[in-house]
Amino acid sequence: MKLSLQDDVTSVQDLKTVILDIRKYAKWFGQTLVKMRMAGGGPYEPPVISTPAANLINEYSGGQQVNKEKLDELVAALEDFEATAPHISIALAAPVPSDLRKTLTDWFRKNISPNALVDFSFNSTMLGGMVVQYGSHVYDWSFKRQILVAHEHFPEVLRHV
Amino acid sequence: MTGNTLLQIFLFLQIFLIGMLATVAVQHAREHYKLQRKPEAPKPTPLSHEHIPPVVREKMIQTSQHQFQAVLNQSALDLQHDLKESSAKINNLVNKLATGIVAAEMERYQEELSRLHSQANTEMGGIRTEIAKHEAELKAKLAQEIEAEKQRLIKQIDTKLADAVGSFLVETLQHNIDLGSQSSYLIAMLEEHKADFVKGVADETQPTG
Repeated sequence: MKLSLQDDVTSVQDLKTVILDIRKYAKWFGQTLVKMRMAGGGPYEPPVISTPAANLINEYSGGQQVNKEKLDELVAALEDFEATAPHISIALAAPVPSDLRKTLTDWFRKNISPNALVDFSFNSTMLGGMVVQYGSHVYDWSFKRQILVAHEHFPEVLRHV
Repeated sequence: MTGNTLLQIFLFLQIFLIGMLATVAVQHAREHYKLQRKPEAPKPTPLSHEHIPPVVREKMIQTSQHQFQAVLNQSALDLQHDLKESSAKINNLVNKLATGIVAAEMERYQEELSRLHSQANTEMGGIRTEIAKHEAELKAKLAQEIEAEKQRLIKQIDTKLADAVGSFLVETLQHNIDLGSQSSYLIAMLEEHKADFVKGVADETQPTG
């Protein structure tokens, strides 16, 4: 089954969190199965996992009964996904608000790759704009760079003031 | 006694006095004529040298000349000596007088000089005080003006710099200068370089070998 990430899983860190949650759930599921077989009874309280992880488990199981093998398969698929999905890093001048994070991620998944993992960071020395890195490609659209590129123009502007 | 009696007495007395004066005049006239008629006194006869022999006379004349010459020489010497002494004394006196005058003049000059020096020092002290006061005032005024000019220039520079930076940023960043909302600018940049991105992703995901 082909994986498709949900909108709230945007970065590698989010994906790792989901993988950890599913792995924790798979471990609990295996242990609970053993207990049910040996001792019976219940109910056994499942561990708290994140919403994206729970949604992904439901989506991956396709409405069927979840078993340990399926969960392990999902974890393996997610790890493979992490290794092969395009990683894009975006640096902004300020901490990225969630709406901007979602807007940029949507754009990348819509226009570049639906499985793109976008990591965000901020660097106040950029002053504005953004720096996008994908693999060995770096696109510097920061204000700092634009100002530095145009610094020779500054004396002319100063003369006109 | 009447006036006529007194007049008569006065006239008698005058007649008596005229008689006495006439008598005395006659006596003097007689004596005068007697003296005019006296015989002249015999004139002294000149000394005759005929009785002195010529040799003796010549010798006497020579001796007299020698003595006269000696006396004359001695007198000349004495006169010269006296003249020298007098000259020396006069010179000495003149020197003393001149020295005294010069010393007095010098002392007066030095006193005048000291007075002028003191007066000049006093005036110079006053002038120095005035100059120092004026200098301090000028310095304070200058510092105040410099500070005012400095503040004016700083304000002017700040204004111009702000204008320049603003103009530069507007010209450099153009419509992207709105730092509060950059999402549209970021999307626009991504759209502008979308082809580069797609190509870059394709290059990165293309299997090697």
